[in-house]
Amino acid sequence: MDIQEYISSGIIELYVMGLCTPEEEKEMELLRQQHPILEQAILAYEMQLENKMLQQVTLPSAETDQRILKKLESLQQTPVVKMVTNKDVTPAKKLNWIKPFAAAVLFAVSAYFNYTLLQKNKKLEGLVKTEGQSPLPLADYEVITNPAITPVGMYGQGSHAICRCTMFWDKKTGNAYIMIHHLPQSNDATDYQLWAEVDGKPVSVGIIDDSIRGKFIKVQNVPAGAIAFKVTLGKSGGESSPENGDLYLAGRI
Amino acid sequence: MNIAIKYTEPELVQQLKVKDNTAYQYLYMNYRGALYNVILQTFSEEETASDILQEVFVHIWKNIDKYDASKGRLFTWMLKLTRNIVISQTRIKNFKVHSKNEDIDNYVNNVEQKMPQQVAVNHIGLRQQVHKLRPELKDVIELSYFQGFKQEEIAEILSIPLGTVKTRLRNAIIELRKDFV
Repeated sequence: MDIQEYISSGIIELYVMGLCTPEEEKEMELLRQQHPILEQAILAYEMQLENKMLQQVTLPSAETDQRILKKLESLQQTPVVKMVTNKDVTPAKKLNWIKPFAAAVLFAVSAYFNYTLLQKNKKLEGLVKTEGQSPLPLADYEVITNPAITPVGMYGQGSHAICRCTMFWDKKTGNAYIMIHHLPQSNDATDYQLWAEVDGKPVSVGIIDDSIRGKFIKVQNVPAGAIAFKVTLGKSGGESSPENGDLYLAGRI
Repeated sequence: MNIAIKYTEPELVQQLKVKDNTAYQYLYMNYRGALYNVILQTFSEEETASDILQEVFVHIWKNIDKYDASKGRLFTWMLKLTRNIVISQTRIKNFKVHSKNEDIDNYVNNVEQKMPQQVAVNHIGLRQQVHKLRPELKDVIELSYFQGFKQEEIAEILSIPLGTVKTRLRNAIIELRKDFV
């Protein structure tokens, strides 16, 4: 390939502006590693574009500036990580009976957890509100049937052996979901906190809101490279380390 | 707002990734003018444009972890992100304005008819340069850069082979180099 001809063909500009086809983009990403001159040409065009565009500015009003700066500041004050309720999932709407396999999978998952809960909880039956005969909340159909998603069972630790939840973790997209099967209510002074283990270190994923029980919840900001998860109970608002809290649940991918 | 700090690009990216507010203020004050200009090329009304500008910066805040320096400069990433938000807003507004029941085929067929009206009020910057191009070159850039259609879709809309779309896009860029970069 004549690299100079390639450079002058207009492909660099299209690539930088994101107008290439995915094939052209892949080709460019490969070629830029092989040809320093191409890499330089890309950077030079990016700089040129940036300089030119920073000279052609139109400033928004001072009110807009204030509003947006305030908005950015407010984002910074919100906890970085939060649990967001997934769309309400009702069995009638979400479960497509034409695909009975999925239903069977869901039933099996539900039955399995009910069974294990029952086994573990025999002695503590009087204390614990079990799920009885009602099935577990139905997960988002596409999520639970997606082969790319790994379910991670999280089991009760120590005196909290009865507690149970499942994480659903898509390593490819980083999407994660949590389904809490059993976890006692926290009081006003305490919060449950979800942790991920990355490179041997715990990273806080967020506070678990009590209202998410019995729902299938999408979890934001699960760090890439997480290999294990923990749930601890600590002071309200969260702890800086899981060591400061009481370990309730743990599970490993 | 007076921001005295000056960052190198890697420093700025690092601070943005840890959600440092000063870094976001710096980013906003330094790049808002260029990105606002991009938005104004499509949405000339101040209220809409400033709402989109806010959406752009909130999106940057939320998605900064997806920025990969090995694939390009921060400004290029922000520029593409701005363009994508503008395109999705255009589509939402077009969808609302033009018949609720319009199916995709009709939408695609009507794109060309929609173009001239939309452009008439927006002769600013790059778009102005683009509209000086020969019609066949103008159309591919208009559909690709401003309306976000993939090359395959453009081939279908204009009823020309994909290879011709590629050639026209590259020729349009070469023409634009004289004026734009």
